[in-house]
Formats: sequence, C-alpha cells, structure tokens
Amino acid sequence: MLPESRQPRLCPTAPTVRFEHVCVEAGGRSILEDIDAVAPAGGATVLMGPNGAGKTTLLHCLLGETAYTGSIVVSGASRVAHVPQQLVVERGLPLTVEEFLALDLQRRPVWLGLSQEARQRGLALLESVDAAGLARQRLGDLSGGELRRVLLASALGRDPDLLVLDEAEAGVDVHGERLFWEVLDKARNARGFTLIMVSHNLPLAAHYASHVICLNRKLLAQGPPRQTLTAKLLLALFGVPIHLYPDQCDLAGPCCPQCGAISAPGHRGRLPPAQADRSGPGIC
Amino acid sequence: MLTSLLAAACDALAFLPFESLEPRFMRRALLALLLLTPMTSMLGIQVTHFRMAFFSDAVGHSAFAGVALGLILGAPPDSAMLVFGVLTGLAVMAVQRTSGLSADTAIGIIFSAVVAFGLAVVSRSSSLGRQMSQFLYGDILTLGDGEMASMACLLLLLLLFEIVGWNRLLLMALSPVTARVQGIHTAFWHYLFAAALALAVMFSVRAVGVLLMTALLVVPAATARNLARSAGGMFWWALVVGVSSGAAGLLLSAQEWLATASGASIILVACAWFVLSCVVKKLRK
Repeated sequence: MLPESRQPRLCPTAPTVRFEHVCVEAGGRSILEDIDAVAPAGGATVLMGPNGAGKTTLLHCLLGETAYTGSIVVSGASRVAHVPQQLVVERGLPLTVEEFLALDLQRRPVWLGLSQEARQRGLALLESVDAAGLARQRLGDLSGGELRRVLLASALGRDPDLLVLDEAEAGVDVHGERLFWEVLDKARNARGFTLIMVSHNLPLAAHYASHVICLNRKLLAQGPPRQTLTAKLLLALFGVPIHLYPDQCDLAGPCCPQCGAISAPGHRGRLPPAQADRSGPGIC
Repeated sequence: MLTSLLAAACDALAFLPFESLEPRFMRRALLALLLLTPMTSMLGIQVTHFRMAFFSDAVGHSAFAGVALGLILGAPPDSAMLVFGVLTGLAVMAVQRTSGLSADTAIGIIFSAVVAFGLAVVSRSSSLGRQMSQFLYGDILTLGDGEMASMACLLLLLLLFEIVGWNRLLLMALSPVTARVQGIHTAFWHYLFAAALALAVMFSVRAVGVLLMTALLVVPAATARNLARSAGGMFWWALVVGVSSGAAGLLLSAQEWLATASGASIILVACAWFVLSCVVKKLRK
C-alpha cells in the first residue's frame, strides 16, 4: 500500500499511456522487443533498467521521435510537455532564466522585451520549483540542479496533462537530485498530471514513483515499486545484487553484503515484517 | 516605387557630415550596407546558436558555382547565383537532417562539390577571371538598382521572420526534441532558416567577398555575446556592432590615408569591436 502522499491524485484530463507490443529495431538490431506496459493516469511512472536497456528509446517512441511497430495509446492527453536530459547551451550564451521561460510563454520575440504577463507567470513557475531567485541568472551560470528545476518549470508552464522526463535529474548532486524529485512530486500532486520518466536513482525512484516499468530490451516487470522492485528482479535487471527495502535482505547477520550499506550502524538485515512494512526504500 | 524610395534614402544620406559620401556611388554603398548588415547581424545570432558558421561558408562558396552555372545555362549570373545558393543551403540542410552524418561532414561534402564544380567551370573559361575576383573580394560599390531593391525586400522579410521565428529557433537550438514536443515544426523552420541564410550570404558575398562573408555573420554575434547581459540585449548589440562596422568600415576605406578595400575594412572594424568586447567582458569579471 502506498503512503497517502504517494497516491496519485487524478486530474480529469490526465491520460493513461498504454504501450502495446512496442518493438524498435535499428541496423538489424533489436532495441525494444514486444513491450506491453501501462503508465496509469495521474501516476508517477519510472522507467528503470541498465544503460542500453531502451528506456530513452521507449520515451522517444512516445514522443514520436523514434519509429516503432506496435502501438502507443495515450488516452485523452491534449498537452504534452518534455523535460530534456540536457540543453545545448553554451556558457557564453546570455540567455536569462526568465527569457528562457518566456520563449514559450509569449508570442512576442524575446528581443522585443518580456511581457508583464510572461514575467509574472515565469516567476510563479520558478517559485513552484523552489527557484524563485534564479529569474535574472544566465542559464549557462546555473548549477546542474538549478538548471533541471528551471527546465521543469518551463515544462510546467505548458500546464501539461502528460509530463515526460528523460533522466532529467542525471548528473546532479545528491541534494539537488532529492530537491528535484521533491518539487516534481509536489507539482504532480498539485496538478495531477501523468508523469513518465527515466531514472537511474533506484532509492528515489522507489520512494517517489507510484508505478515502475523495468526494462532490459524486454519488459521484465511492472507495477507498484514496493511489490515490483524485489531483490531478485533487481539482480536480473542490473546483474548485481541490490535491494531497496530492508526486509529484502537475505542474510540475518549484522552486515548485509548485498545492500551496499555494509558498515551502516544499526543495519540488521531482515527486519520483522511489521517493522519492514513501515520502512521505505532508504529515504528518511 | 521601392527604387524611388531607395533613391530618396540615398539622397538623404548626403546630409551626413562626411566628405567621402559626396559621390553618389558611396552613398549607394552605404545604403546597401545599411540594408545588408542588419540581415547578417540578426541571422548571425542564429548561426552561432546552431553552430552553422561552416554552413555559411559552404553556401558562400557556392556563389561562384552558381555564376558559372548561369553562364553555362544562359541565365543571368546574379539570379543564378542566388538560386544556386539557396538550393545549396537547402541541400546541406537535407543531407544534415536525413543522412545521419554529422553536420560538419555533411557540409564538407557539399562544400567540396560546389567548389570543385566552380573551379572546373573556371578552368574551361578564361572570361570568368573577373567574376572570380569579385567573388573572392566582393564589391559593395557596384551593386545595381535591382540588387538594392532585392536587399530591401529581403530585409523586410527577414525582419518578419525574426519576429515570428526568433523564440522558436532559439528553443530549437536549445533542445530540438522539446521544441518538437511543444508543437514547433522544426523541419519547416530549419529549411526556412537555411533559405533565408543562403540569401543573406549571397548578398554578403557581393558586398565583402567569399573570404570575409562569414565574418559579417559571426563577428557581430560573437561580440554581442560578450557585451549583452540577456538574449534580447544580444540581438540589439549584434545590430549595433554589425551596422556600425559596415558604416565605419566603408567610410574609413574611403579615406586617402587608408585607401583599403571596403570589405576588408568593414571586417577589421567588426574585429576591433570584438577585441573591445573581450576587454569589457574581462573587466566585468
């Protein structure tokens, strides 16, 4: 059972996304094989898998960027927004954050000045992602975490029914990554859009996602993270022993060689079921 | 109508307090630069965003092949040059978008093809020698009425293009996938930009020659990057640098104590702007 804050709050226009027998081939090589998966309406669905598993390819199929066979059904989405992994931005480009947001908020070219409405809307969007102080900063001067939140603000400016993120938190430090997930979760809960994203951060994804799709060219599993991300599945997915939840420890000794927290004080391997039910995936 | 407007503008320039503008051909040259440099300055910003300086070079080098093709087909050389330049620009964009080759490889292939074609034609006809010199160094002083009118029309069209397309083009440069998701028809805007740039490049070749044409696009934009504090500011700084370099370069080249080629003088003034902008940038830090 998901905690109350993780329960998707359905917005009337949030779509369900169904991937039906999606296959992608490139140069005679199979990239995705018969993917049958669902991203529930209003949920936070995270695509997981090792590098080269086809996660970004599946997103690109959804966005119409990659040719595929099978079908992808998006029920009722009218507004889609995308947060890229990176921007092609040179440090010397004097594009300010408020100008960047205004590119999509006003018809008038930015060189004719920002409209009052675009300026106010941009500020409100920045406030919603905890980046209100960045409006006058140059895009090239932002840290990785700040840039990701600005990109998120820009996408939220489209008031999306479906938000698609491609490893948008990659390359950000621990604090920045956590903050990014928090503002994203807050925005989804407030607006109720359907979220589909690629992430390599297993603990954060397990904590914030309402649904996971595990891929390695083929679909390995899908469902709520607590039920889906078992130690067995993660071993099959990544080829190394990992577990996200304390009750998944196979050893009862003082240290667990599988969980990557060998020297963690107080780690006691398998917890009693009652305690395990209350424990999250390593996020306090 | 347009020709008489341009003639009136040319006469009005006589009121400027510069002795070197007394001859009418100098005023025409200044007017031509006042039409050309805003175009190259505006497009130069997008050239730097899309890293397309090499693209401009390839299109510029197609000018001579266009002239040669015009002579072979019995078409007016200037029109043939414009048409061939636009076709080259569109071909480069098509190869770039569809072949999977990197941009510089795609451009390099077409660049080589058009230059080789131009040289092959020149090697068969000695009468093309004068055209070759004009192609290399340009000659702003010999632009005809038709070319001036075409430049005025192109300037108006480009201004419209920059009003409608500026935000879209910048978003495309920053993230093409996001731009497409936001409903921007990126292929349409890429080809339209390639055609607009090719036309501006062709007029730049007539003005300053193929050797210096890229500088007319890139130097004002690069200078503006150093001086501006915002993307909007960059647009206006590029215009100031481009137009002032054009005017000052022409006036300086006409001074007896200097007596240099106008095209080279224009680019030297623009480069002086760039050096100054580097100093300003350093001082700001």
